[in-house]
Amino acid sequence: MTENHYLQGIPASPGIVIGRAWVLSEMGEIKGRFRLLFTEEEKAAETARLQAAMDQAHEDLTRLHQDISSEFPEHAHLLELHMLILKDQMLCDESLRLIREERLNAEWAMYRAFEKIKELFSRIEDPYIKGRLADVESVYRRLVGNLTGKATTRLFDSPEPVIIVARDLSPAETTQMANTKVVGFVTERGGKTSHTAIMAQALEIPAVVGLDNATWEIKPGDDLIVDGLLGRVILNPDDKVLERYRRRQLEFGAFKLEVARFCTFAAHTLDDHATRILANIELPEEIQLALKSGADGVGLYRTEFLYLRQRLLPTEEELYRDYKKVVEAMHPRQVTIRTLDIGGDKFLSPLEYPQEMNPALGLRAIRFCLKEPGIFRSQLKAILRASAHGQVRVMFPLISSIQEMREARQLLQEIQEELAKEGHLFDPQLPVGAMIEVPAAVTLASLLAQEADFFSIGTNDLIQYALAIDRSNKQVAGLYQPLHPAVLRMILQVAEAARSAGISVAVCGEMAGDPLYLPILLGLGVDELSMNHMSIPMVKKVIRLIEYKDAQKMARQALDMVTVDEINDFAVQEMSSRFPEIFRFGSALAGAAVI
Amino acid sequence: MSETKSEIPAACQEIWVENRLGLHARPAMKITNLALQFQADMFLEKDGVQVNARDLLGILTLDCPQGTRLVLKAKGPDASEAVLSVSRLFAHKFGES
Repeated sequence: MTENHYLQGIPASPGIVIGRAWVLSEMGEIKGRFRLLFTEEEKAAETARLQAAMDQAHEDLTRLHQDISSEFPEHAHLLELHMLILKDQMLCDESLRLIREERLNAEWAMYRAFEKIKELFSRIEDPYIKGRLADVESVYRRLVGNLTGKATTRLFDSPEPVIIVARDLSPAETTQMANTKVVGFVTERGGKTSHTAIMAQALEIPAVVGLDNATWEIKPGDDLIVDGLLGRVILNPDDKVLERYRRRQLEFGAFKLEVARFCTFAAHTLDDHATRILANIELPEEIQLALKSGADGVGLYRTEFLYLRQRLLPTEEELYRDYKKVVEAMHPRQVTIRTLDIGGDKFLSPLEYPQEMNPALGLRAIRFCLKEPGIFRSQLKAILRASAHGQVRVMFPLISSIQEMREARQLLQEIQEELAKEGHLFDPQLPVGAMIEVPAAVTLASLLAQEADFFSIGTNDLIQYALAIDRSNKQVAGLYQPLHPAVLRMILQVAEAARSAGISVAVCGEMAGDPLYLPILLGLGVDELSMNHMSIPMVKKVIRLIEYKDAQKMARQALDMVTVDEINDFAVQEMSSRFPEIFRFGSALAGAAVI
Repeated sequence: MSETKSEIPAACQEIWVENRLGLHARPAMKITNLALQFQADMFLEKDGVQVNARDLLGILTLDCPQGTRLVLKAKGPDASEAVLSVSRLFAHKFGES
């Protein structure tokens, strides 16, 4: 057994936990013991046993449903589906019949009924409906688990706190793990905004996702450290490492508690300069997390999810309903909706676009939308209609010319007229923003400012395009430098153009939530920062403890430096001396952990 | 015998799956939940294959994309109300599109 085996994944929920692994293997056969029943008494006993297993399952699902409903509507829906499957004739009545008429014991009867359902599902053509077999299987496993007393549903009831290690976790599974002895998640699949990540954040337990081979490398009962800040798992740590992490765990706990107090405070500097702190969201579930963290609004609502989760393009009505939900939940706070930021090749169907050699430079975002006015129109219509229910702004991603901005606005104008004719309500003054992500837009900032009601700098893409760095390419990822002198000058240019035109400027990349960059961004003239909800309390704290004139001074000093190393050293020096505790965890919280 | 049989109210109606995604889990759940509220036994029939409207998996395995024609049948004291309610669900596309 090797000690201190480090595994690297993606940080999904911050915090550190030390514990024992509970590996959920891929689900194997779970037939249980089959036997024939000989007497009427046996049949009656077997029927009662199955009935009890069903009652138990119903009770468990009902309880889970009560615990989860309001905050996670999607998960609640799944549990409702499971409850109906539990009442289903094909599964339950059929099993009872098999006990009665064919003298099979409960496990055997359930197995036969499930096999038959599997057969029927295999003939379904619609892949969407076919996929529901997974839910039938989940209920089946729950029932067999209740019958045999074994953990066949991948449910578990460890008396000890455990860290769940799995290839992937379904929403139903994470839901069931809420309020249990789970203290951490490690999965092979998933990303920062997967359901597992969001569930872990909501439960405030550390999680690392996207860790290849996790279920193979980690054995049940292994000692683990899960570092949800750096996306790291340490297998079989020795005493020295354990000691170090225990300390780090305590420090992070204290840090979290300390910054949490700042949630409800306004983000004003000591000399009373106000900044709006906004949240980036993707799934509707994140609204509650954003509100809890004290977000002043949503600065970036990513809208791709609805297009990717289903086969068919979402309709205007579906989009409208989702946007309305978010807008109403945030009211009276403002919600900034970013229109579709996606390439044609990402669509499942029915659009057919070829794979691109270079998607970052390809047909995506506003370019794609202007080329597919049908898709764009229905999204714009939905956004406008949602604007009747609260404070909404819309912004277009990847703007690279005045022409694009005008075309998009023109379309928006036409749709407003249509909506008015149809008698729909909407905000006729809906603010329209340009996302500044392409160097061309920076150069044109003063002209673009005449065409836009606000700017939002998407630093992730801007840095990538400005420095010609593909962050996902490990060979050059190290060259991705937010404090590169070129990047700082670009942000300054955009902020100055915005100021002269009298419009606001936001930053909505990872950079916005990283305390290391905070004073410099403020000093450069940024009005709003939009970030992962987890960074919000900490960012508010930093803002409340600095002077705006110091931030301006720091920005000026940084602009006087000519190499990125100089600027980095300067920022690290300043921040670590002023906020040592924040600096230790802050960058990782913002998602800027270096891998 | 045939006399008593004829006394049980029955109803029958042709319906079409109009919502875009077809009879997937959500619509099927709506049908099942509604069917559970009536005393009448209700069935959905597609190409001669019949499933109980209280049977979620039956409805799913009937495999009904948009445009499928179904016959809705009910038998029991509140048969016509049952058929009316369920057909209304279909007509409203289950609140979808």
